[in-house]
Amino acid sequence: MVKIEDLKRINMLKAVPDHLLEIIAQEAHLSIFGTNTQLFSVGQRVDIYYMLIMGQVALKVELRPDIDVILDNFQSGASFGSSALLEGSKASYTAVCQEPCEVITLYGPRMIEVCETNQELGYHLMKGVAGQYKRTIDARAQMIIKTLDSHPELKQSIDDIETLTPAY
Amino acid sequence: MIEIEVLKKIHFLKNLPDDTLEKIGIVAQLETIGEEAILVRQDKKMNLVYMLVSGKIFLNCRSASGKPLTLDELSPGQSFGIFAFLGESLSNFTAICPEKSTVITLSADKMIQLCEKDFKLGYTFMQQVVQMFKSRKDKHTRQFIHSLAIHPDMV
Repeated sequence: MVKIEDLKRINMLKAVPDHLLEIIAQEAHLSIFGTNTQLFSVGQRVDIYYMLIMGQVALKVELRPDIDVILDNFQSGASFGSSALLEGSKASYTAVCQEPCEVITLYGPRMIEVCETNQELGYHLMKGVAGQYKRTIDARAQMIIKTLDSHPELKQSIDDIETLTPAY
Repeated sequence: MIEIEVLKKIHFLKNLPDDTLEKIGIVAQLETIGEEAILVRQDKKMNLVYMLVSGKIFLNCRSASGKPLTLDELSPGQSFGIFAFLGESLSNFTAICPEKSTVITLSADKMIQLCEKDFKLGYTFMQQVVQMFKSRKDKHTRQFIHSLAIHPDMV
């Protein structure tokens, strides 16, 4: 159980009405993680959804055995581990605490159950997750376009370049 | 009113249950678009989601330095503008019909109203949106990592 006031500090929950935050608050737990704690790693089944109250978490992937790329550095208000809210989904990056972190956690399989019975909550949570994905998709597309702008020859090496557009 | 069978030809909609499609069919519109028509301009707000039934659509963009880049050529069944369902959304491309085409348009505002009046539909619909976005986000991450791996400064 966490306080609703703490949930209101999480960006993706800002549009969620209070009566739904109360339900989330009952399911949520507050945890503290130390520096360098690995919360989950790429390819792993993720069961926990994380909402960062304090601290910093790096999301990274391996470029080469000797180089890791930090895709995002999340700070207070951010949330990650959305795969936990989707059945059969795996992590596409590794999440590591860069400093001591205070985190609200939700157990994904339990939240999926709760959303199935309270679809208003399910709708708002999914809309929040979709918004997070949208921001990430936009940021990645801009980075790729910027790279292609300075090195157009790389376009030949990216065979699925058409997926830069949000066409489905 | 658009028939369910027509909506099922759209990749984005085909996995949704029939009762959801029936409700979407009521708020969606079928439109014929003339050759060379511009559906959406880069950096303009998107209010409609477009689903191509027949014909062709090109998605082009200009990079920060002004270079034109053709990103995609849509074929029947494909959609774009789904980000509009999330509110404030600027297009990062220009969409042009190179030939006479038929599209289904869905007002994002009307769809959100529908979702918020019927949360069962809203939850099912938004799950579908999230699954598509996740798959696209994972693909973008792989593309980005690949573009870094082959970048001249990294090799």
